[in-house]
Parts: sequence; C-alpha cells; structure tokens
Amino acid sequence: MAIKIIKNFFKRVFSSIFRNKKDIKLGFYGPPNAGKTSLANRICKDFTGEEIGSVSKVPHETRSVQFKEKVEIDYKGKKMVFKMIDTPGIATKIDYEEFLKYKLKKKVAKERAKEATQGVIESIKWLDDMDIVVIVLDATENPYNQVNITIIGNLVARKIPVLIVANKIDLRKADIKKIEAAFPEYEVVGISAKYGKNLEEFYESIFKLSKKI
Amino acid sequence: MKCSRIIPLGSKELIEGCENCKGHFFFYIREEQLEKIKENPIEIPEEEKVSIEKDIREIAGITEEDTPVILDLESVRVTGSGKFEIDIVNLFNKNRPLIYKLEEGKYIIDLASTLNQHTKDLKEIKNPDKE
Repeated sequence: MAIKIIKNFFKRVFSSIFRNKKDIKLGFYGPPNAGKTSLANRICKDFTGEEIGSVSKVPHETRSVQFKEKVEIDYKGKKMVFKMIDTPGIATKIDYEEFLKYKLKKKVAKERAKEATQGVIESIKWLDDMDIVVIVLDATENPYNQVNITIIGNLVARKIPVLIVANKIDLRKADIKKIEAAFPEYEVVGISAKYGKNLEEFYESIFKLSKKI
Repeated sequence: MKCSRIIPLGSKELIEGCENCKGHFFFYIREEQLEKIKENPIEIPEEEKVSIEKDIREIAGITEEDTPVILDLESVRVTGSGKFEIDIVNLFNKNRPLIYKLEEGKYIIDLASTLNQHTKDLKEIKNPDKE
C-alpha cells in the first residue's frame, strides 16, 4: 500500500514536470518580404541542420504556415525546445501585377495572389496558438503601417509575449531607431538573418521572453 | 440566396439548408440593412448566382456543397482577377467570420472554416435555444 502511494506520488511529480516541458510555440509574423523565413531558416539550420522553407525576392513566397518541431536552441549552455511556426506575410493588398515585375507569368502571378490571400487568413487564424511571437520587420522600410500596428495591437490584446526584430541591418538604408521609436514599449533586436548578424542578442531575448509564458 | 427567402439568425436552416430551396448559400443582412433591402430588393441573375457560389467556394476551399456559406460585409475584397484587398483589422477580430467580396454585390463568408476553430459557436448556431 505504502509503495503504491509513493509510486503514485512520483508519477504525479514527473508528469507535471514533463507537462511543463512542452515545446514552446514560437511564431514568426510580419509583412511580406521582411525575412521571416530567412530568420526561421537560420535558426533551424543552426540547430537542426535543416531549413523550414524556401526564400525568394518575389513577395509572398511563403503562402502556407510552415512548421519545424523539436528545435532545441542551445544558448550559453541553456537549452530550450521550440516548435517553430513560420507564417505567410500579412498584407492588406495583394495584386498579381506586382509579381509580374519579377517576370512571373500572368497566370502564375494570379494564382500566387490567390494563395497569398489565403495565406494571410491562415496566418491570422494561427495567432491564438502561439506562445511567443517574433515580429520580423524590414528595417529599411517605414514601420508605421496598418499591418504592423494591427499585428502588434492584437498580440497585446491576446497577451502573447512579443519580440520585434529589425531585419536587414546589413543594408545601408536600415534604421533600427525608427522601429524603436514606433514601438517604444517593446524590445527591438536588430539582426541580419541573411548574414547571421547579432543572433546572440536575439536568442537572449527569446530565452528571456520564454520565462514570461 | 437561391430563393431570396429571409431566414432568422440562429436558425437551424443555416446548417441544414434552406427549407424552401435546399440551398446552403446565404447572404447575411444586418437589421438596419434589412429595412433598406425590403424597400429595394437586389436582383441577381440566376447564372450569376451559380458562378458566384462556385468562385467563392473555390477561394474559401469549401468544396462540399452541403457546407453552409453565408455572405456578409467584406474582410477580403476581390477588386479584379488576381487582385485582393484584405481587411486585417476585421480578420483579427475573432468574433467575425471570414468574408470575401468578389465585386460589387458579390460576397461570401467562410463560415465553415471560421467555425472549425470555434466549435462552441457552431453548437450555439445548431442549438440556438440551448446554453
């Protein structure tokens, strides 16, 4: 009888420990072509050796939500397991004519526009499932727009921890200060996903946010 | 939309299909709009109704004809072939179903996919009287 009680006690203790160790769902959100997939790829490649999705100069390359399970990030001896969720870029207007500039055929461009629209809807539907959201912004672009403000506003309303990443800091036009000024209540980390620049600060911030869940 | 009958909100006909024409394709009318519509009914030609439903079901990915589709104000507007405007503020609002506007007077609501995530809401529609 006593053995049974002790056994049950340990079972309960261990199951509660493992329940807490569920993978943290880390979502990458933002406007198209900001570098969400590039950043997710960089992290996945560093820690799993595999990428999450394809990257292109043509906007709306990611048109459906992509996942990578069990990504164990090892930073300064600390380890955390994440489920990475890369989402299609959120936009308010998608016009196939924009894709024609990249020499896409009209029919292909129209199909891309339709899929990209479905992608925006899918991204938004997934938002409630996230534990932490990384908002990836292009540091060379003006941060004051409806997409960025709406995404951030909705994350705050849902009480989801947010990290803002100012990507493309390798480019001369990049202006992190403008992003910091636009969203003063949030931590902004400037990185270059393409060249893997300043990722340490990014990991540090992600680990810090993970404690808030 | 097929027979232009007005069905009250929360009716089981929205799930099971219109009792009159068996259609599963509806246009949501707000109370204030209802008065206006009663005065000036909108007429859509029969063949156009068929093509609207086909287009909408394709975009929304609701191919099963039994799945209800309800039309409301737009959160996705199709301004032309391959051209879309998305009202993200509306989309982020969890209480609103997904709505497509194809062009002037052509809308769809993706009730099915919206409710897949919120089965509680579906239950409320199926049994409007029950808690």
